[in-house]
Amino acid sequence: MVENSDRSMSRRTLLRTAGFTALAAPFAGSLLTACSSKSTPSAKPNTTVTVTSYGGSYNDQLTKTLLKPFENKTGIRSTLLANTSLAGLKAQVRSGDVQWDLVELTAPEYLQAVDEGLLEKFDYSIISDKGLPSYARAEYGIKYLSFLFVMAWDQTHIPDARAPRNWEQFLDKAKYPTKRSVYGQLSDSSILEAARLAEGVPFDKIYPLDVDAALRYLARHPGRDKLIYHTANQEPIQQLTSGEVALSTSFNNRINAARKDGAKLNFTASNGVVAGDYFVVPKGARNKEAAFRLMDFMSNDADAGADFDRTTNLTLANTRALAKLPREVADTLPTSPKLADTILVRDDAWWAKNLKQTEQRFKLWQAGS
Amino acid sequence: MTSTATPVAATPVTAAVGADPPRGRPRRPRSAWLLLLAPVLVFDAVLFLTPIGRLVTQSTHDQAYQRVLKDPLVVRSMLNTFEISALSTLATVVIGYLLAVVIWRRGPLMRVILFALVLLPFWTGVLVKNFAWAVLLQDNGLVNSALQGLGITDGPLALLHNRFAVIVGMVHYLLPYAVFPIFAALAAIDDRLELAARSLGAGEASVFRRIILPLTVPGVSAAGLLVFIISTGFFITPVVLGGPGDMMIANEIDFYARQLTDFAGASALALLLTLVVSVLVAAYQRILRAGGEYEAG
Repeated sequence: MVENSDRSMSRRTLLRTAGFTALAAPFAGSLLTACSSKSTPSAKPNTTVTVTSYGGSYNDQLTKTLLKPFENKTGIRSTLLANTSLAGLKAQVRSGDVQWDLVELTAPEYLQAVDEGLLEKFDYSIISDKGLPSYARAEYGIKYLSFLFVMAWDQTHIPDARAPRNWEQFLDKAKYPTKRSVYGQLSDSSILEAARLAEGVPFDKIYPLDVDAALRYLARHPGRDKLIYHTANQEPIQQLTSGEVALSTSFNNRINAARKDGAKLNFTASNGVVAGDYFVVPKGARNKEAAFRLMDFMSNDADAGADFDRTTNLTLANTRALAKLPREVADTLPTSPKLADTILVRDDAWWAKNLKQTEQRFKLWQAGS
Repeated sequence: MTSTATPVAATPVTAAVGADPPRGRPRRPRSAWLLLLAPVLVFDAVLFLTPIGRLVTQSTHDQAYQRVLKDPLVVRSMLNTFEISALSTLATVVIGYLLAVVIWRRGPLMRVILFALVLLPFWTGVLVKNFAWAVLLQDNGLVNSALQGLGITDGPLALLHNRFAVIVGMVHYLLPYAVFPIFAALAAIDDRLELAARSLGAGEASVFRRIILPLTVPGVSAAGLLVFIISTGFFITPVVLGGPGDMMIANEIDFYARQLTDFAGASALALLLTLVVSVLVAAYQRILRAGGEYEAG
């Protein structure tokens, strides 16, 4: 019975202080590193940069194509975590116990973090901007990545010939009576834009986004009972391969990675939505110089960058790498001019201004009101 | 009389509330028990009271309380928490009572086996149990395949991502918390009471209604309140087994902290939950004490 009491106590205590777990968790580690790190004036070879991203296949690809080559070149090691979040960054900066050095944020989250003063200014005397495209260079971060929000399907249930070609078909419950899985949050997912596109709104009229109209459309096509929600990027892959759903929103690189592993999934880039992620350095990060050197490497090393683009089918903000890519790879990237006419570019400024209230509105709608 | 009942049921709450000095023991010098309590007090102060204190400070910023109480999602998740906890508690206590009676009526060997069956899932992580249910209940899962294979249903029944699934998952987790206090109450019943009743002509139903049920009421109330208290804090089960309409208050705290990065709002919600649970814990201890007096007298 002792186990019983301990468990019920720690669970509830944990839940009551949910907002604080993020603060408490890194506490133990900080004791170990606190003494040594302050005395390091610059990025020495035995430095370790702590990088956070979204996990799953993408973290494997990041490690293989960028972090390992960076370590081989500079001797700077890195630890890649899978739990990146603005909340975690904010909790660390507020508590003054910053564990992360380089943090991936979605574009609206980046703008919010700038507003709240949570970030270090990027040092472009360390980061050469020769290979960095102008759209990616920002004061407090680099929009290092462009990805494509797409519709994906399970080929064992929906052969490619019957697959949806646009969002109207994807959301059509007469055509596909099964459930669809969509991302439950909106910070880097574009299901509301998808609903507007399905209704026939042209690309250049999507913003300012009419959230009410989008939700009205989703309520009828396909209806709440035909939608389930995922909360992590790797989840739709599991839902599709386990047969729980036959259709899902996802990102082009996730589906490609699953296909390379033999999964019978496919997606279309047509009607996709291009969005970008930033790497930022939290205010007070212990290894910010090493983090900037890693950003310099990502933005300028042609071979590693090209390997990243090839492996992930995502666009790294590195023009030297793009120049090295064969045409057939370049044409599949989210930023390819070939796709420009069939895809929507996400409006980061609109989302930065409206993200919170829209997230709440969407959550409430999901709950049925 | 309650020596078997009280410790089993009371341990979790005493532990959760924190240091509770022993009652009615022979007096020792004050300093002695303070010294014995010191490790617990230090532990609590550092790891429990400090963070709670920071939560309190944080929750006073940005009119957090007014804001969260006006949020329809918060209201919704509070109602959900109450409804889901009440239904889970009801189901858990009813099933737990039946199970406890069955165990109580068996011989020593069967008892050990049945207790092992209750304890085995108890020692399994909640996440594992929930995912197991998700596998069973999904559209192409075992339950739906069996129903369709037997020709009972035509298409898959919606068993997952709804309130039914959440309650199933919670009852599975909560059952031991009801079985043990109820079993303890049953085990404490004097066998001679039943013999006496039967010798006076009472049948099975009458013995149950007039002897066993009244004597187990304190055990049942304790079990019910304990299960309800634990229910209010569920977090992962609504995520894994529920739909978006089944979010409970812990999920809303998580939404405020992680998605809205509104730490003041999350703190306010956490403290509101703490407040409600504290009231319930106080009520729980009253029931235990009242039950003890009733049985002792």
